[in-house]
Amino acid sequence: MIADQIVTALADYLKRDKKSIQLNHTLREDLGLDSMSTIELVYQIEDVFDLEVPNEDLVKLTTVGSVVDYVENRLRLSGKTKAPKQSES
Amino acid sequence: MESGLNVMTQRVVITGLGVVSPIGIGVCEFWKAALEGRCGISAIRSFDPFPVDDYRSRIAGQIENFSPDELLDSPHWQRVDRYAQFGLVSVKEAMADAGLLLEREDPHRVGVIVGVGMGGMVMGEREITQLYEQQRPQRVHPNFIPVITLNSASGIIALATGAKGPNLTISTACSSSAHAIGQALECIRNARADVVITVGADASITPLVFAGFCSLRALSTKYNDTPTKASRPFDRGRDGFVMGEGAGALILESLDHARSRQARIYAEVAGYAATSEAYHMVIPKEDGDEVATTMTFALRDAGVAPDEVGYINAHATSTSVGDAVEIKALKKVFEHRVEKLAVNATKSMIGHTLGAAGAIAAVATTMEIQTGKIHPTLNYDDPDPACALPGISASMQERKIDVALINAFGFGSNNAAVVLKRFAE
Repeated sequence: MIADQIVTALADYLKRDKKSIQLNHTLREDLGLDSMSTIELVYQIEDVFDLEVPNEDLVKLTTVGSVVDYVENRLRLSGKTKAPKQSES
Repeated sequence: MESGLNVMTQRVVITGLGVVSPIGIGVCEFWKAALEGRCGISAIRSFDPFPVDDYRSRIAGQIENFSPDELLDSPHWQRVDRYAQFGLVSVKEAMADAGLLLEREDPHRVGVIVGVGMGGMVMGEREITQLYEQQRPQRVHPNFIPVITLNSASGIIALATGAKGPNLTISTACSSSAHAIGQALECIRNARADVVITVGADASITPLVFAGFCSLRALSTKYNDTPTKASRPFDRGRDGFVMGEGAGALILESLDHARSRQARIYAEVAGYAATSEAYHMVIPKEDGDEVATTMTFALRDAGVAPDEVGYINAHATSTSVGDAVEIKALKKVFEHRVEKLAVNATKSMIGHTLGAAGAIAAVATTMEIQTGKIHPTLNYDDPDPACALPGISASMQERKIDVALINAFGFGSNNAAVVLKRFAE
């Protein structure tokens, strides 16, 4: 569910088919996201999952899978069990 | 050798045009509409999500159905606000029109100079409102700063074109892009670039900016039910300007460079002057002396005498004081010859596009030099005696123009004048 939402958000942002986005893809090399694009992605993730991602965690977000793991962990730690809200964009 | 000119400096010519306006996107559409005297001013439907009922003025020169994704090949437009998207579209057209290919140029010899009055206010207002309402600083969009810095258009235009020369933004309110043209002229004359992609762009028909202009009592309020009648420069019934939005782009290059690549030359940018009235932040000096001085300086810079000038693209925003001051100044500079001038006001059709106004006026003037057709001044039905001149007409005029003068005046007490000439070897 979370993986699907993140991949969908990435596919929307990159204007490409979501099937072409794999969990082992790196954000920078494979998907071509520069640091500004990554920050925009994180901004969307914060909104959709009602999270706040501190600066020191940004370096952990290297692959699609690492983003998914990070969001899952954060949601588990915060005890949030509700379904993520739909992105408004 | 060109006699009578300073041979130490480069002559500068216009080789490409582009426009995004309320009467058409693209020079062909714009020019056809201009000669037909079409008006691009309409009612503002709403400032989503709230109605416009409480605004004193409820009309504007709006660009409907603007689709940057369809007009631009690259996704650069997604990174910038509406005004810069207009700029990108106008530049794409002007570059193609000029046949200018960056891969054949030394990119460090190609500059970008953009005139901007208000800048990225669509996103700016949205983010400011959200922050104040929600008090959640973490939710300010990461792209907010790159979008609202006034050089976002010049930056994205360089990215989109590959131009690596001087990259500048001129912000002098309503005269911004007339000064951009002037600064591009200086840049090429001084051999700091061979080509300057010169642009004016603004898109701030936004709730806060629009309210601000309403509060200044600068906008027309009498014609909310008849929007196409509202912008009426020099007419007795005028009651303020109408806000517009858009962009204009001109490719300026040195004559040597244009010749070397066998470019088609539309016209020569022959002179420019910039002055300050040092008088009042929003009101022009009523005797017109400073405006007259600006025009005189520009003609001197161009090396032309007043009696060589055939046409004035007036600043003429349709305000009570401003239009009359400009005519007073014209009479001072041209004396009895003012009766022979053709004069028109592009803002009568598209409203006042603020930072884009000078560039769009320059596109219109270039087309007028090219075609010998002078677009009408809409709603010049009942000439104000303080403004009336025989060369102002609500109909299209046909006249060969050899020398044209473009006026632009901005808040902050600043004036610009640009001289364009029919190109001759």
